[in-house]
Amino acid sequence: MKKVVDVSLPIGPVHPCFKEPARIKCETMGEKVLSAEVEMGYVKKGIEKIMVGRPWQEVMFLAERICGICSVIHNMVFIETVERISDIEVPIRAQYLRVIVNELDRMQSHLLANYSYCYTIEHETLAMYLINLRETVVDQLELITGARITCAYIIPGGVRFDLRDEDAETLKAALDKCEKDISRFVKIFEEGPLIALRSKDVGIITKEEIIASQAAGPTARASGVDFDHRLNHPTYQKLDFKPIVLNSCDNYARIMLRFKELFQSIELIRECLKRLEGLKGETIRGGGEVGEGEFTWTGEAPRGGLTYHVKTNRYGHVEEISVQTPSIMNMDACAHYMLKGADSAADITAVFISSDPCISCNER
Amino acid sequence: MSIIQSIKNKVRQRSIHVCYVNVGSCNGCDIEILACLAPRYDIEQYGIYVHNNPREADILLITGAFTEQWEDKLKHLWDLIPEPKAAITIGNCPVSGCAYNRRGARIDPPVSKHIPVAANIPGCPPRPTEIIGTILELAPVVFKDYEEKKAKEAAETERKTKGAKK
Amino acid sequence: MFSIICYLKEFLRAEWIKKFLFAKTPPLVTPPHYRDFPQLTGKECSHELRCMMICPVPDAIKVLKGEDGKWRPVIYKGHCLRCGLCVEACPDNVLTSGRILEQNEIDRTSLLGTYHLVIDNKLCMKCGNCSVACPINKEIDPRLAHNATSSNDDVIMRIKNSKLTILHPEKCTGCKTCEETCPNRAIRVYRRVEAVQD
Repeated sequence: MKKVVDVSLPIGPVHPCFKEPARIKCETMGEKVLSAEVEMGYVKKGIEKIMVGRPWQEVMFLAERICGICSVIHNMVFIETVERISDIEVPIRAQYLRVIVNELDRMQSHLLANYSYCYTIEHETLAMYLINLRETVVDQLELITGARITCAYIIPGGVRFDLRDEDAETLKAALDKCEKDISRFVKIFEEGPLIALRSKDVGIITKEEIIASQAAGPTARASGVDFDHRLNHPTYQKLDFKPIVLNSCDNYARIMLRFKELFQSIELIRECLKRLEGLKGETIRGGGEVGEGEFTWTGEAPRGGLTYHVKTNRYGHVEEISVQTPSIMNMDACAHYMLKGADSAADITAVFISSDPCISCNER
Repeated sequence: MSIIQSIKNKVRQRSIHVCYVNVGSCNGCDIEILACLAPRYDIEQYGIYVHNNPREADILLITGAFTEQWEDKLKHLWDLIPEPKAAITIGNCPVSGCAYNRRGARIDPPVSKHIPVAANIPGCPPRPTEIIGTILELAPVVFKDYEEKKAKEAAETERKTKGAKK
Repeated sequence: MFSIICYLKEFLRAEWIKKFLFAKTPPLVTPPHYRDFPQLTGKECSHELRCMMICPVPDAIKVLKGEDGKWRPVIYKGHCLRCGLCVEACPDNVLTSGRILEQNEIDRTSLLGTYHLVIDNKLCMKCGNCSVACPINKEIDPRLAHNATSSNDDVIMRIKNSKLTILHPEKCTGCKTCEETCPNRAIRVYRRVEAVQD
């Protein structure tokens, strides 16, 4: 058989489909992708280095600025680690408010991920619908916290602002609108023949490969791994949280899983609002100073498990910190398992975006 | 000025192609640019198209605090953009380095050290309305009389070189 | 064929047609609850510098003396990241941004700060730069200069018995001037902030 000339196909760093700079190098034979490698390092700033020797009120903002898409969870996990170091109790009302803001953030992140996927497979109608719905969710975040993206809402011992009664009503109305709209979009996504062609049986990764590559979050749950770090969180345990798992392992499953998690987030926020009504007038800040200690804590970011390891000194300043973000495993899984053997070079970006890579998270 | 020239100038102001590049930001500004595309703000109704292709761009939006990796690449990207062109930096990072501007960080702000920057949008991140407003305000200033300015500049340099020869 | 029906179904909804014919971009306004750059309320600043001490970014806020001799905070755009901590920390409500002040009054929340001075005696070479540079020291004893040998015991720190001694740590406002002037990074100022509600 005549050997087809191999082409090394670089994609990026500036590419219309990518939100951030990254380069995928693919070895292709004809249209078939033989192997892929992700090259990074375009946005390395050394945040962990500059976090050292700073108090929580400065590290909190640096932690938020590791990633602008999932900023609330970075804030939350860092503050929860610090709280566990110094045994700070969080009032129950503040715990539910944290969950509300965290789930709103997860909603906007998932909507953005699905937007980028729809945009990548050129289904622009659905993409525009999704990003418009994201504005509604971001508006709610703004109403509660006062900022659209980097909220700076969670502080040791509680939260910064209380939820007003009239804001709770607006939030409920917005959730109803979101639920109605998302169910319509899910129908479009399920019925669209173009979407099925581009997503079903593309970018397959099996459960064994997920475990081998240690992928996390929606990427893992779409391949049948029944795990979510929210199961270990005390507030989510009170809310009877159960993770959603799909078993079809392809692009379609990953996007559908995000849609299903949107409904789950809406339910969680509704449940929290219901419980908050019985807690009117309770404190939202317990006080407490940050002390000395060392702790590792993991939370569930929109992309998977996010781990902070923090060591503080006597005055509550960070002495050692290391952050592990989920995207690095997801991108590894994407490059080494999903892209390998892809049938078309046109699928490379679609598969890459479906795992929702976050390059800023990765490189910090 | 000929009529064709004035029509050309007018059209240029109303049709702006935008390319954005992330030189080490936290994503916050990038998603605010994406939010401008949303039907809520609808950036295309003002004649602004986001292409993300430097070869057909008029305005380069820069986010981020200039990491080491971009040292030679940003200049190259800037050279790819055809004249007339302008660069707008978005957010605090390209101006001051924002929260990252500490000892030991691997960044090199401000961006205006590396390429000429026409405008800054402060904020961490700025609102989509601020981004749209700045682009709309800047575009007429840059593209109003590009050819005339260039002709004037050419005449100026010619006169200078002639003077030097004499 | 199926896809055409799909699209027709999407575009024949009454809602869509209504939107298509009567589309209107909503006015691009900033909502009142958005935390914008802090503005002055007009109340008098008592120069406690808490806003400067809590600010998470370098050079974003400075308290400067105006021409009329009054202290006044100045926000530098391009550095300020609109977190609103300065608004929350200010004891005199000099600054305002969005709904922060209003909400803090309803919730009765505030931020308290304490400062700790720590000297590494192995690194300290007793030059006295820190004591000379300290603005509080200068106010208490203007004659404190050159090697910081003075007999005044009201100052925050000075060289006593050829050793840098901290006499009144509670007077420190946490400005970190000493840390910046120290050639060896021997003195460290730890800012500790507590979020409280009463």
